[in-house]
Amino acid sequence: MSSDLAVKTREPDPLPPEKAPFFSRPSGKIFLIWLAMTVVGVLIGFYAPHHLLPTMLSVEGRAVWATVVLLTVLAAPVAAFVYGVGFYSLVAWRQRGYGQSDEPPPDGPPLRGNSGLTILWLVVSGVLVVVMLVWGLAELASENATHPNSLQVDVTGQQWLWTFSYPGAGNLETRSLVLPDNRTIVFHVTSEDVTHGFWPVELGVQVDANPNVVTTIQATTNKLGAFTVRCSQLCGLYHSFMYASGAVVTPQAFAVWLHAHGASALTASDVARVSSSS
Amino acid sequence: MTTAAAPALLEDTQLSSRAGGLYRHQNIVTGLIGGIGLGAIGWALSHQFLQGSNWGTDMVVTVTMAGWVIGLLLGIGAFNAPVLWMLGHDQTHEDELYLAGVGQGPRRYWKFCTDHKVVGVQYLIAVFTIFGVGGTLAMMIRTQLVSAHSSFLGANAYNAIVSVHGMAMIVATIIMVTGPFGNFIVPIMVGAKDMAFPRLNALSFWLLFAAVPPLLATFVLGGVDAGWTTYAPLSVQAPPAMDAFAITILTFAVSVTLSGINIIVTVLTMRAEGMTLNRLPIFTWGAVIGSALGLYAMPAFMVGMVMMITDRVSGTSFFVAAVGGSGWLWENIFWIMGHPEVYVILIPPVAAMLEVVSTFARKPIFAYKVTVGAFIAIIALSIMVWAHHMFTTGWAPDLNGPFMLTTELISIPTGIIFLCVIGTLWRGSIWTRLPMYWAYLFLWNFIIGGVTGIYLSDVPADNYFHGDMFVTAHFHYTLLGGAMIAAVAAFCYWFPKVSGRMLNERIGKVAFWMVAIGIQITYFGMFWEGFEGMPRRVAYYDPIFLHANQMATVGAYLLMAGFVVLLYAIIHSWVHGRPAPANPWHAKSLEWMVPTPVPLENFLVEPVVTADPYGYGEPEPAAPAAEPEREPVPVGSAETTAGEPV
Amino acid sequence: MSEKPGRERKPKALGIILTFVAVAIGVAVVAILFHAQTYTSPVGTQVAKSVGTVTVNGQTLQHVTLAFNTYPDASGSVDGQAIHPGGNPSWPSYGPTNQFQVPAHALVTVTMRQYDSGGSLNNPWFATVRGTVGSVARINGRLVHAVNPNNVGHTFTVRGAPGTDPGFFVNVPLPAVPGNNQSDNGQYETVIFSFVSGSQGVYGWNCEYPCGTSVAGFGGPMSAFGYMSGFLHVV
Ligand SMILES: [Cu+2]
Ligand SMILES: [Cu+2]
Repeated sequence: MSSDLAVKTREPDPLPPEKAPFFSRPSGKIFLIWLAMTVVGVLIGFYAPHHLLPTMLSVEGRAVWATVVLLTVLAAPVAAFVYGVGFYSLVAWRQRGYGQSDEPPPDGPPLRGNSGLTILWLVVSGVLVVVMLVWGLAELASENATHPNSLQVDVTGQQWLWTFSYPGAGNLETRSLVLPDNRTIVFHVTSEDVTHGFWPVELGVQVDANPNVVTTIQATTNKLGAFTVRCSQLCGLYHSFMYASGAVVTPQAFAVWLHAHGASALTASDVARVSSSS
Repeated sequence: MTTAAAPALLEDTQLSSRAGGLYRHQNIVTGLIGGIGLGAIGWALSHQFLQGSNWGTDMVVTVTMAGWVIGLLLGIGAFNAPVLWMLGHDQTHEDELYLAGVGQGPRRYWKFCTDHKVVGVQYLIAVFTIFGVGGTLAMMIRTQLVSAHSSFLGANAYNAIVSVHGMAMIVATIIMVTGPFGNFIVPIMVGAKDMAFPRLNALSFWLLFAAVPPLLATFVLGGVDAGWTTYAPLSVQAPPAMDAFAITILTFAVSVTLSGINIIVTVLTMRAEGMTLNRLPIFTWGAVIGSALGLYAMPAFMVGMVMMITDRVSGTSFFVAAVGGSGWLWENIFWIMGHPEVYVILIPPVAAMLEVVSTFARKPIFAYKVTVGAFIAIIALSIMVWAHHMFTTGWAPDLNGPFMLTTELISIPTGIIFLCVIGTLWRGSIWTRLPMYWAYLFLWNFIIGGVTGIYLSDVPADNYFHGDMFVTAHFHYTLLGGAMIAAVAAFCYWFPKVSGRMLNERIGKVAFWMVAIGIQITYFGMFWEGFEGMPRRVAYYDPIFLHANQMATVGAYLLMAGFVVLLYAIIHSWVHGRPAPANPWHAKSLEWMVPTPVPLENFLVEPVVTADPYGYGEPEPAAPAAEPEREPVPVGSAETTAGEPV
Repeated sequence: MSEKPGRERKPKALGIILTFVAVAIGVAVVAILFHAQTYTSPVGTQVAKSVGTVTVNGQTLQHVTLAFNTYPDASGSVDGQAIHPGGNPSWPSYGPTNQFQVPAHALVTVTMRQYDSGGSLNNPWFATVRGTVGSVARINGRLVHAVNPNNVGHTFTVRGAPGTDPGFFVNVPLPAVPGNNQSDNGQYETVIFSFVSGSQGVYGWNCEYPCGTSVAGFGGPMSAFGYMSGFLHVV
């Protein structure tokens, strides 16, 4: 048995001598792979959010976009390094002819660790974490800052519909969410029954709607357009039907809309029509 | 004791006809009779006396399911010995041997058997079965989502299936490595004859067995419509299926706790001479560290579920805000369990995969001590990150910053795992046998899972991605693409030792490519859905998400087909495979030094360990983990006894 | 057992059969469970009756009618057809079916009888008639645009699956009959309303009065498809 396990260190060592040009050494080749994959990763970091995220209508939504780009750019070199070493090892150090063999290839070099490399690895990942953290905390602080002249909108989730009311405007209650542009909107969110997730997708924020509790989240609109409110928390049978349409409109249009919906929608001609048809 | 006759000797020991006592007549059939019987008695009594109350149906379901669990354990004989002790008797040595399965051939796999290798195989079959159910449910989910407004399942069935898919997969992944290999391999790896508590070991398996039928019964009890996270008050409002679901979790949590204690005590107290802590194989470390974390996580789940049951059957209001409770309380308890739990799932398979990487790179594990330290750092940090699942709930917004800190810190020790893998691969002699294929796939997937995880750790980005398909894709990349693929690597690695047969690598590689490509298609489809803003767990969706969903569904079918091909390779090899030598990979840890099939009590001569099992390329004294001259069975002779179906 | 290493010489049939059996058992188990899971929901779809054309807001539309009721329990039958075959007979339910089919952009006139008692809505917003022609409903012969939010039996509230016509929304509160909870005393409220259907697609309707179990009243019949929920298929 001991003969089976006799050490068969690979001879000769496949590493070229130290004075070989950098790019013909494994580290040089891995560097090139790393560089190429980092570039690919960074390109993905710019492409994916730009083409896949919906058009954001708020400052917070733009922050989501920027965060995804930044984090991808930070992560790309790390991922590229792991992939680079992993797949270089597969291409360069795979022992050909042993894939079907019951005999193992000769042993590799007994490298049990490298404290310098380990420390470097820890330092690099520590620095990346600090950068991520500082970015995240800064974003968080700006999202929580209070703004003058904000508009309060009360959001009520119930199985399985959203309703919205505008306390500043005679408690008008609607099932679609109309917001003025260039204004900080403070959503006061609650639920009539179970937990829902209030998620105006294109505003890039969300908060749960909990029964008997009011949670708040704010978003500052900065672009005109339509958006969708979805429920992001499984809430039972018709969870998937729980969405509402919304729009960011000009402040003038918002004022007009508020005024139009403040009045009763019932008119005499409507009454006449129903009576004649039934 | 002559060496050649030794394995046969223990197997063929003629026990007296009284050995085992009552236990001689107990097996899975009496277990099922006991379970169904006591369940029926529980149903009849509770139906008679409790049905009229406010919470009648919930009480009936709870009592019935609890009756099933206790009855099954009674019927299979789990409590025979404790009852004997209470009566002032004790089991004889012969009884113990009978309990360990001596002289019962394949029948012992259907019994309450204390042999850790039998329990390991029982776990293995259970894991495959649960994965089969969970996978089939996943296919139904993906089929519903192949068109935007499909009528394939309907909203009720869809929610019920989503919940059971989630819980079944969580159950299976928690035990997929510590169950089969923590039981079969760990004791041999550390040089022990069995687990520290063999009877507890059998109990933990049969608790798991008892936990699964109530989970499936949820389908006929109205379905759990609250997802596997069962957020309150939706779960308090859910149909009686939720009571069965809670019994499943209580039973399963006890099972995981017992099995965790067993693994920890075994490794701490039963190591062979010379097996110092810094010579422990890294998988043993992983199993111990994962189990230790389970001891922290599972009690929270138990307590939470007991409170959930009382809310449902007796009108307490721990989690019902309208009458003084708080849904956030449940969410906290759940994630105090839930986030550590993902590392309970992850660490054992990753550690097992490191064994694979070392063996097939023919190199020692790189930075062994740092990696063990990283595992410990992960579990230490993992108990302080739970509220990153609650960034958007509105609970404690002031803590979002601190939880973002702890969550991002955990990426530092997780990064060490990558360092360990690529350091081990560096200049290795890469031997591309099947287990190594899966290890590379782990590396590919886990990077993607990790990178997408950092978006979710960032609160402002999580404010967009939380609760949408991006999260689903992310955790499938880490738990399926990472943990489960690492577990498959470990499975392919230890299959020859467990089954006595070599796995058919040709079919296995077909399965590998189907799974590898299927994962990428499926979950890139889901990332796409997530970027576009599709919420999770919806049965009907906006047609703007149609193409991304179709991509995910096509990938999921390929993925499932790949796993069916893998299942075929496994069953085929288990039946027809080439008999395996004792040490097919020429690895150096103790489980490869014992014959295949492994005899009862594993070692014919107690091993003495002189070095860690990673002495690849190092000079002789450190090479074999066991002293060669004391090893009685030559590797070659194992082939004459190999191939006994287990 | 005596098999020697080398290419597998045994027929491979056993492995194939075992795999097949394992997969078949798995699929069968799930299929059986799935069958049990497709909760008994009322059978059949009520296709709206065409009764000619009508002019609304200067547009000529096809005019169709639907007729269905709400019952305090699902044990009864309508025209010899059980409301919920095999379902939970004690739950309140719409009947005779929960699936309706109407043409797109047509005037749909619904005639309902509401047999159930009731109480307060979780959200009084649903006490207002919304989305019908004129935002009114004819309740026991009187045109109203809202009912007392504390005396509602059920509501008929329709909205689309995601991605369907966002403008199509109907909410009609159905007043409660006097009496105790779920007393089937044969009294009913007649509710008639008309709405213009949206574009093609799957629309879901449900009841917003908490007539179910648990704290918020949305358990039981409210959460099991078919009693207080259903589909309006616009074709
Ligand atoms: Cu919701
Ligand atoms: Cu109702």
